[in-house]
Amino acid sequence: MEFQAHQIKDILKIDYRYTMGGQSKFFIELMNNKKLLGTKCTKCGKIWMPPRINCSECYEPAEWVEMKQTGTIDVSTIVWYTTSAFIKAIPYGIGFIRLDGADTAMLQGIFSESLIPSKVKKGKKVRAVFQKEREGKMTDFFFVPEDEYESWIIKSEYEGGSE
Amino acid sequence: MEKVAIIGIGITPFKARYLDKTYFELAYDATKLALEDANKQGAEITHKDLESTVYGIYNELFERQFMPDIFINSYIGMNNKPGTRIATGGATGGYTVRMAYAEVASGLSDLCLCLGVEKCNDCYDVQTGTTTPEVLNAIAYSADMTYEYPMGMMAASSYVSMVNAHFEEFGSPTEEQMALVSVKNHGNAISNPKAQSPMKITVEDVMNSRIICYPFKMLDCCLYSEASAALILANEEKVKELKVENPIWISGVGAANTDCFIGNREDMGRLYSNIYAAKVAYKMAGLDYDKIKEQIDVAELHDAFSGQEVISYEELGFVPFGEGGKWIEEGGPMIDGELPCCPCGGLIGCGHAVGATGIMSTGEAALQLRGDAGKHQVIIEKGRGLAHSIGGPGAAYAAIIIMENEEAR
Repeated sequence: MEFQAHQIKDILKIDYRYTMGGQSKFFIELMNNKKLLGTKCTKCGKIWMPPRINCSECYEPAEWVEMKQTGTIDVSTIVWYTTSAFIKAIPYGIGFIRLDGADTAMLQGIFSESLIPSKVKKGKKVRAVFQKEREGKMTDFFFVPEDEYESWIIKSEYEGGSE
Repeated sequence: MEKVAIIGIGITPFKARYLDKTYFELAYDATKLALEDANKQGAEITHKDLESTVYGIYNELFERQFMPDIFINSYIGMNNKPGTRIATGGATGGYTVRMAYAEVASGLSDLCLCLGVEKCNDCYDVQTGTTTPEVLNAIAYSADMTYEYPMGMMAASSYVSMVNAHFEEFGSPTEEQMALVSVKNHGNAISNPKAQSPMKITVEDVMNSRIICYPFKMLDCCLYSEASAALILANEEKVKELKVENPIWISGVGAANTDCFIGNREDMGRLYSNIYAAKVAYKMAGLDYDKIKEQIDVAELHDAFSGQEVISYEELGFVPFGEGGKWIEEGGPMIDGELPCCPCGGLIGCGHAVGATGIMSTGEAALQLRGDAGKHQVIIEKGRGLAHSIGGPGAAYAAIIIMENEEAR
């Protein structure tokens, strides 16, 4: 007898109230004051961005420091096919941005009027732009090429940082 | 430490989707195949002789079941014996072999089952009416949930970051050099009846396939797959007692986790996990990082994305940094080349059934050393082979397994 397959529809869903713990200050300052905070190790002086409140190398505390909102693209890509959660956003640019003065690079969205590889390439100077409506999440900000900054912050949904 | 041999190998076909099998039924199939293979080699054993299991299963969201290993444990008749699950992303298979090795080498078990399985394509994206975006979403939860998942990070964009950084540093691999990996591995898969994506294609076909994540195209990427793979490992005394004819000895295991945050790495264009794992495994096997290409007959590499295979040639010491692209242009890793890489088709040719993949790669290399690889058999002169697994956020996990056929040396 021929095999007959049986499938059921299902979904897994969990609600959270996820705590950012020791990293909370980063998200609160981002939300309330459009500031980007990193941390500096009290022993070796390494500047972590994204921040961690303990230095993983020295095992000593790291203190909050306000970062510049400009930086450089270390590496980037443009995404044309992606997960179900992001597929409506394609194409989008993402890359590792080294904020001026930071010792590490952070992953962020790179928005550009012309999303072509040469516009979002290694070495390109970028600057943070903020959503007007912020929730204390990573999606509250993104980076744009520095030469496009003025044209992005005049858009109704975005604004410049408070650096 | 006890010497450890692979005495049985079972690999199910890699398929887009098994409508007729659950993950535990697939795991049963691979276990049965491995037992049959061990018995063909002269052992007379059943599952009742196996003393423990190490399970390689990556993603609970694929299986729609947390702790899936315990349900397999019941289904394959291994109740009242120890079973341990390993989950290290794409490197799950390699890490599972390493821990099963440790189970036997330490003396805890004389006969151990190393069993990997994955069944991803029950995930279904309602918006597009296709599976892949939801499979990718289930994988994307492996990214750091605080800073990186919200940015739309996924497997391809994570690997592409390393490949792009490598290109910035060395001017290689070029898109054409990456395409050669796809041509090679899809082509090798034609001789492998268990492969999901056998295809005779050209560099042009790869270059013209749809863009996924600049500069990766569709044909640069492996497909997610459903399959199971199993190995039976035994110590030397057991090999003698069972009169196994063709044991393949595991002579080196190495693993390392590099920083999962790519932005924390000093060099974004290379995976130090690969370099450290390789050096540890080679040293244990008495081999040299600088001469490894001349010391092994075959390498089953983790080619989830074509560009990473090229970089792995360098990280694993086959060629100096920056020369991987040139090496494939010269035919080095081709099936009839200097060191055949992924003769079974690798992940690009076979598909990627995550937990099963590294165990399949290890099993394939062992079959090569036994002379049992079938139509994709390569020439074995040195009696040594390598299997490579990488994965996880930023491909932070890496594992390398070195195998030997003492008879062939």
